[in-house]
Amino acid sequence: MVTRIRAGDAGAYGALVARYRDRLARYAFHMIGDREDAEEALQDAFVRAYRSLERCDDPARFGAWLYGILVNRCRTTGARAARRRRMFVNDEDAIHGAAHPDQSERVEWADVVGRALARLGSEYREAFLLKHVEDMEYEEMAELTGAGVSALKMRVKRAREQLQRFLKEAEHV
Amino acid sequence: MFEERDDEDMLERVVRELRRPVSVDRAFDARVMSEITRPDAVIPVARPLRRVWPWLAAAAVLAAVLIARPWAHPSARPDAFQFVLVAPQAASVSLVGDFNDWDPTRAPMRSAHGGVWATVVALAPGRYRYAFLINGIEWRADPAAPAARDDEFGSPSSVVTVGGRRS
Repeated sequence: MVTRIRAGDAGAYGALVARYRDRLARYAFHMIGDREDAEEALQDAFVRAYRSLERCDDPARFGAWLYGILVNRCRTTGARAARRRRMFVNDEDAIHGAAHPDQSERVEWADVVGRALARLGSEYREAFLLKHVEDMEYEEMAELTGAGVSALKMRVKRAREQLQRFLKEAEHV
Repeated sequence: MFEERDDEDMLERVVRELRRPVSVDRAFDARVMSEITRPDAVIPVARPLRRVWPWLAAAAVLAAVLIARPWAHPSARPDAFQFVLVAPQAASVSLVGDFNDWDPTRAPMRSAHGGVWATVVALAPGRYRYAFLINGIEWRADPAAPAARDDEFGSPSSVVTVGGRRS
């Protein structure tokens, strides 16, 4: 697919967008915490990736390379958005959340989780999401973030500790 | 909401929540495609120089192997290493480092006499960063070992190099 796009078939890029969009969107939303900023970051990552496709050394690892672009983009956007961070809930929740008690409880839990996540420092949030939500190996994470494996392990460990603390605090509010 | 659950259960619930699919605006794909097909968009055509990179990469790998001379190193089998810390006031001390994922529960140290804490761990050849965790809250570097100069997370840590490899 990457080879076809490099050969000038821009339309083929649509298939790559469709393939990676949802997973990357999840990371961007949780990392940034704001829907519009997250979509903007995601769109920018896809456009940047297209425009610098010649620098993708291994087309078979396009996904990982694209992830790296998004991670960097989220760092930039996240710093800007931190001051006005708010919780993101997905569309389904927003539409149907209050209609059913179970759904309502889940929306509440999603809100608690989102707020706790937003309280983490961006480096801790990034490491936690990549490790536990995106299920990456530390070596992969190191490649994406530019941080050392030891530092990433420490960030994940501290993120877990802090999340547990924030959630317990929320429980007592 | 989760008073009876332990911490691991809580984290599992958090991860489950965060792994739920997130929807994207339906026009998203169209926006991306519109952006990349604008007349002034850069078309990603491969440059001839790219053909040189595999050869340069191969040369770099060969040079690294010749410099490192892995065949000259001792076997990669783990050796037992003792770590010692004098901390008379400590109620507990754990050894944490790259070799145990910085998990304090995996290498608790034992106190002998005079507040001397020690533990033994098996380490394969390599370079490791480590520290002591005192009373579960205080991080301390090993005063008898080199400090980690490339510390990336703000806490003091030390370096041990096993098997004669240079750090």
